[in-house]
Amino acid sequence: MTALDAVSVYTPAFRVPIEDLADPLDLTDIQVRLFRRFHGLDQVRFAPDRSPAELLRAAVEGLAGLRGQEHRVRYVVHGRAMPVVVPYPHNPLHDVCRQLGLGHALAFTVTQQSCASGLLAVELAGRLLAGDPHEDALALVLTGEKAFTRHARLIPGTSLFGEGASACLVSADGPRDRMLSFVCAQRGEFDGEYGDREEEFQRQYRPSLAEVINRAVADAGLALDDIRLVLPHNVNVVTWQRLCSLMDFPVQRVLLSNVPDNGHLFCTDAFANYRTARERDLLREGDHYLVATVGAGAGATFSAMVFQH
Amino acid sequence: MTAPDAQVDSALRDRVVEAMTTVLKRLVEREEPITEDMHMADELGVSSSLGLELLLEVEEQLGIQIDVERMRPDELLTVGELATFIAGHSRPW
Repeated sequence: MTALDAVSVYTPAFRVPIEDLADPLDLTDIQVRLFRRFHGLDQVRFAPDRSPAELLRAAVEGLAGLRGQEHRVRYVVHGRAMPVVVPYPHNPLHDVCRQLGLGHALAFTVTQQSCASGLLAVELAGRLLAGDPHEDALALVLTGEKAFTRHARLIPGTSLFGEGASACLVSADGPRDRMLSFVCAQRGEFDGEYGDREEEFQRQYRPSLAEVINRAVADAGLALDDIRLVLPHNVNVVTWQRLCSLMDFPVQRVLLSNVPDNGHLFCTDAFANYRTARERDLLREGDHYLVATVGAGAGATFSAMVFQH
Repeated sequence: MTAPDAQVDSALRDRVVEAMTTVLKRLVEREEPITEDMHMADELGVSSSLGLELLLEVEEQLGIQIDVERMRPDELLTVGELATFIAGHSRPW
C-alpha cells in the first residue's frame, strides 16, 4: 500500500500583506477587502531570491530520511500546476536530481491536473513502485514553482498564489501515512480557454469536490465522520466553509490556518498542511485524514485522497 | 432549510433589503426595480464572487458582520431569502 515515508516543506520566510499586492496585480480596493474578509487571506509567501530549482532543492534538503538512501530512489515525480516554468532547454528538475545524487532516477513532471497534479504525482509514484522489481525502491515526489506573472499569482475573485515547495518520500509499502484511496474527477467541460465556462465551474465547484471526497471516503471503507482531519488546498476560507456546510462536516476539522499564513501554494498546500498537522500534533496513530484539492486551468480536476496515519 | 431557529428583526430586515437592492442595482447595472422575489443568479446574473461583493457592501453599509459560516448559498436563491438570512445571522461590528 502506497505510503508517505517522510515529508519536508519549504515555505519562504518572506511574506507580503495582500494590500501590498494591489498595485502589482492591479486589484481594486474592494477586491482586496473581499480577499481579506471572506477568503481569509492575509499574507502571501514569496521567495524572490530563489529560482525554481532552488525552491525544490530547499524542500529536499529538509528531508532527512533521504540521506544515505539516494540509491533506492528510482523515480522522481514533480507535480506542478504550470506547464512551462523556465526557458527551453533548462530543466530545474533534472538539475536538482543531479545535484542531489539522484541522476540515476527516472525523473519527470506532471502538470496535466494543474494544482491537483501533486496528488496525481503521489498516486503515480505509488503505482510505479508497485510495479518495480526492487522491493526497497523509493520515489521522491516534489512540488514547488514560482508565481512569476499576474496570471500565475491571481485567480480573480478566488485566490492569490504564493511560492513554496515540498519533498515527499514515497514507498510501496511503508508503515506510516498509508494511502487508502484516491479519487479524481477530470472535467474537460470546464476548459476555460474561451472564458465561457467560469459561471458553470463556480456553480459546480463545491458539489463536484464534495462528490470526490465522499467517493474517496467510501472507497477507503469509511464514513465521513471517521475523517479526523481534512488537509485542504488553500484556495480560500469561504469555499471550505461552504463546502463543509454542504457536506455537514465540521469546518473545525479542516486545517485552514495556512490560508492566511501562506496564500495558495499551487501543489504544495497539501504537504504544507500535512507538516502543520504533524507539528501541532493533530494526527494520532491510526487516525484517518483526507487530502483534497482542485486543479483548474485547461479543464478542471477534483481530487481526494484518504490516508491512515 | 437554512437555520430555521433564527430570530429575524423585521426592522433590520427592511434595512437589509434596501441596502441589497441599492448595491445590486449598481453591481448588475440594472435600472429597473429589484424585488424580493427575484432569483439572484437566474434573473439578476449574480455569480458567487459577485454575491460576496454584495455581502461585503451590505456589511459595510449597515455596520454588521454576517455569519457566512452558516450560509448555504444553494438555499438562498432570491433577494428576499438572502435578506432574511442576513437579518437573522448577523451582529453589529
